[in-house]
Amino acid sequence: MLTSTFYTQLAEICPGNRCLTRAVDLLPYESDALTAFRATPGAVVLPETEAEVIALVRLCHQAGVPFVARGSGTSLSGGSLPIQDGVVIALNRLNAILKIDPEQRTAVVQPGVINLNISKAVAKHNLYYAPDPSSQSICTIGGNVAFNSGGAHCLKYGMTSNHVLAMRVVLPDGEVVEMGSESVEGMGVGPDLIGMFIGSEGLFGIALEITVRLLPIPEQYRTVLAAYDSLESAGNAVAAVVASGLLPGAMEIMDKLALKAAETAVQAGYPAGAVALLIVELEGEAEQVEHEFAQLIDVIKASGAYEIQVAETAAQRAKIWKGRKGAFSSVGRLSPDYVVQDGVVPRSQLGKALAEIERLSADYGLAVANVFHAGDGNLHPLILYDGRQPGALEHAEAFAGEILKLCIALGGTITGEHGVGMEKRAYMPLLFSETDMDAMYAIRLAVDTKLVANPGKKLPSDEAPALKLHGMHPLEQAGIISRE
Amino acid sequence: MQHTINPEAHGPRGAAMADAVSACVHCGFCLSACPTYSVLGEEMDSPRGRIYLMKSVLEGDLAATDAQPYIDRCLGCMGCEPACPSGVAYGDLLTSYRALQEETRQRPLIDSVTRRMIVETLPYPKRFRAAAKLGRLGKLMQAALPDQLGAMLGLLPDQLPAPVHLPAKIPAKGQRRARVALLTGCVQTVLAPQINQATVDVLTANGVEVVIPQNQGCCGSIMSHIGETQRAQRLAAHNLQAFPTDVDAIITNAAGCGSGMHEYGLLFKGTAQEAAATHFAQQVQDVTVFLAALGLRAMPATQPARRVAYHDACHLAHAQGVTDPPRALLNSIPNLTLVELDNDLCCGSAGTYNLEQPEIAAELGQRKAQSIIETNADMVVMGNIGCFTQVETHLARLQADVSVLHTIELLARAYQ
Amino acid sequence: MSKSPTTAAEVAKIVNAATHVTAVGGRSKWTFPAADTVTEIDLSQLSGIVAYAPDEYTFTAKANTPLVEIINTLAARQQYLPFDPLLANAGATLGGTVACNTSGSGRLRYGGVRDFILGVRFVDGNGNVLRGGGNVVKNASGFDLPKFMVGSLGRYGIMTEITMKVFPKPAAFGTLVLQFESVAAALQASFALANQPFELDAFDFRHTNGSTTAWIRLGGLPNTLQPRLTRLQTWLQTHTSVQTIDTLLEDAAHWQGINALAFAADSPNVVKIPLPPRKLLHLDEDPAIDLAHYYCAGNVALVTTTDITALGSALTRLGLNGLLLRGTATNPQLGTRHWLPFAQRIKTALDPHQKFLEI
Repeated sequence: MLTSTFYTQLAEICPGNRCLTRAVDLLPYESDALTAFRATPGAVVLPETEAEVIALVRLCHQAGVPFVARGSGTSLSGGSLPIQDGVVIALNRLNAILKIDPEQRTAVVQPGVINLNISKAVAKHNLYYAPDPSSQSICTIGGNVAFNSGGAHCLKYGMTSNHVLAMRVVLPDGEVVEMGSESVEGMGVGPDLIGMFIGSEGLFGIALEITVRLLPIPEQYRTVLAAYDSLESAGNAVAAVVASGLLPGAMEIMDKLALKAAETAVQAGYPAGAVALLIVELEGEAEQVEHEFAQLIDVIKASGAYEIQVAETAAQRAKIWKGRKGAFSSVGRLSPDYVVQDGVVPRSQLGKALAEIERLSADYGLAVANVFHAGDGNLHPLILYDGRQPGALEHAEAFAGEILKLCIALGGTITGEHGVGMEKRAYMPLLFSETDMDAMYAIRLAVDTKLVANPGKKLPSDEAPALKLHGMHPLEQAGIISRE
Repeated sequence: MQHTINPEAHGPRGAAMADAVSACVHCGFCLSACPTYSVLGEEMDSPRGRIYLMKSVLEGDLAATDAQPYIDRCLGCMGCEPACPSGVAYGDLLTSYRALQEETRQRPLIDSVTRRMIVETLPYPKRFRAAAKLGRLGKLMQAALPDQLGAMLGLLPDQLPAPVHLPAKIPAKGQRRARVALLTGCVQTVLAPQINQATVDVLTANGVEVVIPQNQGCCGSIMSHIGETQRAQRLAAHNLQAFPTDVDAIITNAAGCGSGMHEYGLLFKGTAQEAAATHFAQQVQDVTVFLAALGLRAMPATQPARRVAYHDACHLAHAQGVTDPPRALLNSIPNLTLVELDNDLCCGSAGTYNLEQPEIAAELGQRKAQSIIETNADMVVMGNIGCFTQVETHLARLQADVSVLHTIELLARAYQ
Repeated sequence: MSKSPTTAAEVAKIVNAATHVTAVGGRSKWTFPAADTVTEIDLSQLSGIVAYAPDEYTFTAKANTPLVEIINTLAARQQYLPFDPLLANAGATLGGTVACNTSGSGRLRYGGVRDFILGVRFVDGNGNVLRGGGNVVKNASGFDLPKFMVGSLGRYGIMTEITMKVFPKPAAFGTLVLQFESVAAALQASFALANQPFELDAFDFRHTNGSTTAWIRLGGLPNTLQPRLTRLQTWLQTHTSVQTIDTLLEDAAHWQGINALAFAADSPNVVKIPLPPRKLLHLDEDPAIDLAHYYCAGNVALVTTTDITALGSALTRLGLNGLLLRGTATNPQLGTRHWLPFAQRIKTALDPHQKFLEI
């Protein structure tokens, strides 16, 4: 429980109705987009300036109170889940685009700026911000930074980390650090701390100001829909496109169930009856794209697609993507509950992974909707369950765990872009050795000596690892922990 | 989303509320479509947050009075519905929840006064006309009045237009192509009677015979949307009787009325009139939808150059999904350039909202006016009387020289 | 003292036993005076491509694998490292490229070393063999140690194995040579191009003998390349102050020359400076600089100087930093480093006993 002194200090930094402590105000912050987890914070604060954020972090550090920074609460891994009785620092009011420099193709934004709002703000300069997580209409850049968010168009241009050039951050102990520059070379000299900070899920502190790079809007898009009668043949088509030497902006697959949900939501006119739908999008200079398009159609025809559609208008393309981007949520129409997984496999293993998921689905008696970034080998199986049945969540989680193990066994990883968060912590040791895990703990402890920054996420436990019986633990060696 | 709501415990609409909560997956896609969230930036003032609060109240974990201020702040603009991928029927949840709470609600005196003025005057043109005249006197005292009453008076025009009388039947011009009944509305007949005149002109010019039921009354939508279910049912029941059933469509030119009438089925759920109400609801069409489907007759080719911004009224675009027909009609006017607004959020009018939540309404009104000004349009058109007053007021505050018209008024001018 | 381990475990053993260590790769970059107390770890035995999966667009190689070997292997399958790692023909290795973050002209199109690294295996100062990242193109598990190693200059760990992403290599390249009145005019042209749809593979410029020459490279399908070059040329003529434009005949040779820093062949010191383009003109005027070659549309400078100290002060004054690529220095890092407090914390975890050089 937080002390009354602490509450007073919080309210001094964020006075009046910017320091929320009543049950009615805290309730809506209990969950993010992973509702399987809930925790009630001790307070939610709504800072309006960078100085207030820094003061809040310093206060939490000094008092040893855990905090989590929160944007729009769209994490699918429970990354922005509050710490029970901790502080939620809601950054939504730090939502200014501070600077747009079309010539250098950069924008400087506050962490609460919504991803899509950057692209909207720079569209008049014929520029856009490339990372496009499905929740881009609402997710914030601060959250994207914390989770290294991806999206449909990672294949060619990478994730959030590949688009951040500079940052000012407040470390968990309150020290403010600047890194990077407005050069596309970013850090340039010294270890890539920007890369290290991005995707650290809030464990290294809070980004206060972020300089992103912008790209010119592609002159031409070609969005192709190819319908297949099996998931495996769609998966193989992805491998064929990659092997042909094409580099599409995006390659996505939706299965029958996901298509049904998405079609109900947006009426995009996806090919009816497809067991699997492949979306491939080429983008670039018109001349080049037209030739690549011809090549792509040949590859897709040869891959056994039974129907091929091409988006004829910008509106049609927008609809195709709206359906795809809302697909997770539209599965809410099919089932009261679901868990989304985010494992990655090598592209050549996609067919095998999908077949295995189908088999597991039958074994567990739980339906799965697949909608994923095929070009990156990034699976998103949504496991449907009814949480009202006792034990249903645990059963679904066990299934999810098998999928993660499958991804590791096929040479992949447990998360491509949603982050470890709450949900996949337990699987980290399957992916990393004890030594690797210890090193991550050591780094984490060195940056956050009091373990106040989003503890409990990403790493399996928020405490120091158990002291070993033989020899010095690396953290002991480092003088960070001791046996006294 | 999981919940432990017992649908049976919350009356005939319990199941609709429980279903809406079930469908919500808490993904947050609704936040960017929510005007109050855009102004306040806090979870309780978002659709997702309100669903969570309503869920907690219905589950019995939260006192309704605690949640009430946040539910009250919802404009009911329904912007969240088209933004919701999982198809949460937020409108059904909100209307049902408000109706449920209204049964037991205690209001502070000033709220009760405002609300009483609203429920006792708005639906009744004669009373409203009288109140509006009184209000003009009140304007002199505006500064001394509390915010809510002040806002109410601030929106009243300085002079009321002369009333327009429409006969029971107006014949089609040329060959008759259809026959419709027109809802003339309550507030609109007092504040902007020319809209109904324009509607009749355009319909008849396009070969449509227009029936005006002389004993029609308020459709009850405003009452329904603020949780006054019984009043709403009473008013609606009257119109179920007043309107003929042998017409091709029941036409409205006020988006708020149209959206409310489309919900008649829900309003009368579990009553003897449910079937009749559902049938009536199916007959209701916005005038732009009807005309776009019918196809316009040609208008004079020589028209002045017009740069027109179209404002999507929430109750038309979100609640009824009508966005293309009005644009198609406008685009068919020769020499007209249609421009889109950057800001597609609610203007803040939202029925009685600008009376009940004046500060947020003013902020939203100003943002909307700003985005209209940025388009350099000469005029802005829309399909709802409520927005009309709000947009006009805020454009005037920013001293913008942009005229505000109903879509049908502009069409009527083009036919002159 | 120098040792030549053949495995990561052997590297770990040496690190454990020694007081101070420093790793040496292809010796294509700066040299530094080694103190007697420092054990030199010669990585030359840790070489070779471990795995290459063309269909996955990834490969894994031991840290000391020469770039040339990688480039040739990839080219046989029409793939490449688009960021043109510098000094390839001079013997630079993959590990050195990552440790020094030496992207070249091709960085413009798809990003630099940091944008292509996927996984790393390294020995930290505790003598532990650690692994970060993985073999797949997307990975959000664990801290991003692969990126952290980019530019780490051997101060946090010794890399033994690296996994990189690759891309299909354009079948054809073409280059335009442009003449401008000044560096400012070339920079202005790059600003004008900033929001245009042309997808440039490289845009370099350099001022010598009273005029500024710029080179713009396009890559793509052979049958579209010429029309694209023509279109770009027309656009440049109408929208920039370019004086003349020609097509470069020896495309590959030209870019190899830049990769080898041929323009700075006679200079003892070459420094790479990441540069917000807007600061370019301030830097360009600095007397500490003899010659400056700008690449990545003015976002990076390669400069020669005879006075490293003066250049360091200039960089500090301009709020910039730089890395010595060629020359002699105890610390090849010049200019301001605001990020030290964060790096220092990580250093205490990975190298608590200061086995490696100070950051």
